[in-house]
Amino acid sequence: MTKRADTVGIIGAGSFGTALGSVLARAGRRVILWSRDPAVSDAINKTRTCPRLPNAPLPAPLEATADPRRVASEARFLVMAVSSRDVVERAKELGGFLDGSHIVVHAIGAFVTARDKSRAATDRDTGAKTNERVSEVLEQGLPTLKIGAIAGPALPADLAAGEFSSVVVASRFDEVVSEARRLLNAPPILRVYSSKDLAGVELASALSGAYTVALGLCDGLDMGAGPRAVLITRVVAEAGRLIAAAGAEAKTFAGLAGLGNMLVRGGKRIGSEDYQLGRRLAEGVITADSERTEGARAALAGVILADRLRVRMPVLSGVAAVLAGRAEPRDTAKLIGDTVAIEE
Amino acid sequence: MASDRPVREAENRLERFNSDREKLLSEVERRVVARRITEAKTGGDASLEYVLNDVAYSEIKRLEKSKNGAADRWRDLSRRLLTMSEEEKQGELRSLVRYYGGDVVGNFDPRVYKFATGIGPSLLGVLFNPLGSLKEGMAALRNLDNRIHADGEIDIAHACAERGTIVVTPTHSSNMDSPAIGFGLMQAGLPPATYGAGKNLFSNPFISFFMRNLGAYRVDRRLRFELYKDVLKEYSTVLLEHGYHSLFFPGGTRCRSNLVEKHLKLGLLGTTVTAYKNLVREGRANKRLYIVPATINYRLVLEAETLIDDYLAETGKNRYIITDDEFSRVGRMFEFLRKIVAHEGSVIVRFGRPFDPFGNDVTDEGESIDRAGRIVDPASFVRGAEGEVSDDDQRDAEYTRALGRRLSQVYPKLTVFHSTNLLARVLYDAVARQTGTRDIYRLLRATPQQLAVDIPGAIAGVDRLRKRLVERPEWGSEHPHFTEQSSGDKLEDAVKGLSTYHTRPIVERGGDTLHVKDIKLVYYYQNRTAHIPVEGAS
Repeated sequence: MTKRADTVGIIGAGSFGTALGSVLARAGRRVILWSRDPAVSDAINKTRTCPRLPNAPLPAPLEATADPRRVASEARFLVMAVSSRDVVERAKELGGFLDGSHIVVHAIGAFVTARDKSRAATDRDTGAKTNERVSEVLEQGLPTLKIGAIAGPALPADLAAGEFSSVVVASRFDEVVSEARRLLNAPPILRVYSSKDLAGVELASALSGAYTVALGLCDGLDMGAGPRAVLITRVVAEAGRLIAAAGAEAKTFAGLAGLGNMLVRGGKRIGSEDYQLGRRLAEGVITADSERTEGARAALAGVILADRLRVRMPVLSGVAAVLAGRAEPRDTAKLIGDTVAIEE
Repeated sequence: MASDRPVREAENRLERFNSDREKLLSEVERRVVARRITEAKTGGDASLEYVLNDVAYSEIKRLEKSKNGAADRWRDLSRRLLTMSEEEKQGELRSLVRYYGGDVVGNFDPRVYKFATGIGPSLLGVLFNPLGSLKEGMAALRNLDNRIHADGEIDIAHACAERGTIVVTPTHSSNMDSPAIGFGLMQAGLPPATYGAGKNLFSNPFISFFMRNLGAYRVDRRLRFELYKDVLKEYSTVLLEHGYHSLFFPGGTRCRSNLVEKHLKLGLLGTTVTAYKNLVREGRANKRLYIVPATINYRLVLEAETLIDDYLAETGKNRYIITDDEFSRVGRMFEFLRKIVAHEGSVIVRFGRPFDPFGNDVTDEGESIDRAGRIVDPASFVRGAEGEVSDDDQRDAEYTRALGRRLSQVYPKLTVFHSTNLLARVLYDAVARQTGTRDIYRLLRATPQQLAVDIPGAIAGVDRLRKRLVERPEWGSEHPHFTEQSSGDKLEDAVKGLSTYHTRPIVERGGDTLHVKDIKLVYYYQNRTAHIPVEGAS
C-alpha cells in the first residue's frame, strides 16, 4: 500500500476529530488534520497538542494543515468531524478539491436543518424546518458518492485516555465500510464494526442525542432506576418505529449508534452536553433552550420527521415539547410510557 | 419542438454495425470465456461444471415439454459433464457463449432504416387511415410529423451524441414504446439507438421485421441462468464501448399501473458504468457516455386494458410475460396506429438533460458537474487512491442505483399530460369525493350514481388542474400544442379519445353529465398524474 491509500484525513480539529487522530496516529497511521484556523493547525504542529483537547498528546504521524487542498490530495479517506451547523460550509470548502474517488465518512450525530443549510436566522422554535441526514447533505455538496457514517459510544476523553471504544461504520458502498475498518480500526482502543444500514445508523445517532436529553430530564427529576429503565426500553421501541418508517432497520437503534451512544452520553459520570441540558431543564436552572445542543436540535427535527412519517413518538414529543417551552419538565414522567396499553 | 437538424448530422453509427458484428461477437466471447475460466479457479459455484450444469438444467426445464426432442442436447450435456476434462468444459463453454451471443445479437439494415425514417411513415399513414378519404389521407401524410412529437433538451442531447455515446432511458408503458422512441429520436434529429427487446415481441411479424433490421437485439427472458445474463450484459457493454448509441428501459417491463416510474429495476443500465470503466482503463476516459432521460407520453395506450387488469390482479407481477395482449393482435395494433395517425400529437417524447453514468449532471458541452455545480472528472469515480482503475461490482451497482434515483427524480418533470390524463384525474377525484375513498378496489363497486360527474364541474376541475401544473412545473406539463385550448375543448377531446378507442367506452356523455363506465381505465389514465397531490393537500 502506498502513502495516500494509508493516510486518513480528518476534517475538523474539534475534540472528537483530534482524539480520533491521536488514536490513529498512535496506531501508526498517517493522519492529516484540517482546521480552518491556521492558529490551531500551527499549534498542533508546534506543540503536539490541540487547543480543543489539551490533554491528548499528538504523536508525530499526525500533521495539521489549514489547507483543504493538501488534505484532499494527500488522503483519499476522509473523516468529517465538524458540527452539524458547519457541515454545509465545510463540504462547500472541501468539495472543490475532492473527486469521485474520495471516501468521506462523517461522525456527526445530528440532523441538518434548513437553517444550517441557508445560514439564515429563523424563528427559534421552528428552526428545525427540515431534517436531512448528514449523508444526504454531503451528497449534495461533495463530488463523491462514496459517503458513510461512523457513530457509537466513542467519547473524545475515552479515546484520548486510551479507554476501549467502539463505533459502527455504515455506507451503501462496501468499499467505504471496508476502508473505514482497515484505516480506523485500532484495537484495543477503537474497534470498528460494520453495517449496511446507513440511514439507520445516522438516524439512531441523531436520535440518541435527543434521548440523552430525556435521560438528563429523568435524572434531574430524580425519578429513580425503575422509571429510568422504562424510559430506556420505551426509547428503543419508539426510535425503532421511526427508523423502520424511514426505510431503515429498527434494530439499528439497539446497537452502537443508538443505544450505545445514548447510554454513554446519558451516564451520570460522563454527563454530556445533551445530558446536562436535560438536567438543568429539570432542575429549573434554565428554561426552554431549544438550540443549545445537537441533541436538542435533533429532538425538534425528529418530531417533524415522526409527524411526516406518522409515527407515534411519546418520549421524543415530550422532550421536544419541554425544549420548545410547551410542557413543564415535571410532566415528562407522563411522557415515558404510552397512554394506551399496546403490545410491546 | 422537433429539431431542425437533419438526421444525417447525428452520426448513425449503426450503419457500420453489420461490418462490426463478428468483431463484437468475438469480443463478447473472449471476455465471457476468459472471465469464467478465471473465476472457475476458485471452485464451488464458479466451477465450469457448475456453470455448464446450470445451463443444462435450466434448458431441460424449459424444453422438457416440447415434443421435438429439443431438450435432448441438454440432457446429453448434463450426462457428459461428469466425464469431461477441463479443456472439454472450456470448449463447451466457448461454444455456448457463441451460441447465446448469436441468439442475442442484432442486425441493422440501412435500407429498412431509410424506409422507416423516410417513406415508411407516409405509407403507414395511408395504410392506417383506411376509413378516411384520400383527401384526409393526404392531409394526414402532410401532418404526420405532428403525430409523434419530440421536444425537451434536444440540443444538449445532440452535443452529447456528437461528443460521446448516448444511452436513452425512457419510461416504459407500452410495447409501442420502441417504435415511438425510434421515431422520437428521428424527430429530434438524434441518431438511432440499439436496444434489447423481449424475444416475445418478435412474435408480431410487422414489428419484428422492423426490430430485427433496426438494431434491436433479442432478450430471452425465459433464459434465467447466469451464463446467458453474462452474455447479454457483456454484449451491451461491448456495444457501448464501441460507441453504439443505446436504449434501455430502466423500469424493466412495461409499467402496469401507468404511474410515472419511481422504482426502477435498472437492468442493463448497469453496463454503462462497466463500459465507461473499461474505456478509462484503456486510456479513453474522454470517450464519454451520457444517459439521456426521456418520457413517452401517449394520449391512448394500446395495452391499457390488459395492463391495468394485470396490475390490479397482481398476477405474476414482474415475472409474468403477457404473450397474448393487444400487441400480439395485429388488427388491434393497426387500430391503435390508425388512432395515432388520426390525432395530432398522439404521442409525445420528451427528452431531459443528460447525466453521466454516475448520475452527475452535465454541462451543455458534456462535462460532468457535481451537485454543487463544480466540474468533476467522471473517470475519478472508478479510480482508486493512486489513480488506478479498480474493479468493484458492488460499487458499480451502487453507482447505477444512484443514477436510477436521479432518473426517477426527473421523470415526473418530463411527463406530458394529454387531455385523457387530465380528464381521468378530474373524474377520479370527483368520484373519490363522492364515494369518500380513493381506493380503486372499493371504487370498483361504486354505483352508477356515484360514478356520474357533472360536466361544468369537470371542466372547472380540468381548469384548476391546468393552473396547478403551470405553477408547479416539477409535476410535469400539459401537451405543448394545446396549452391555448379551452378546458371545455380539452374535455371534449378527452371524451372522444376515452369513449371510442378501447373495447368499451371508459366514459359516456349523458346530457350535462359524464358517466364513468370503466373506473379501472379511468384509474389507469389518471395514474400518470398520481404524483400530483390531491387538490388542497399540496
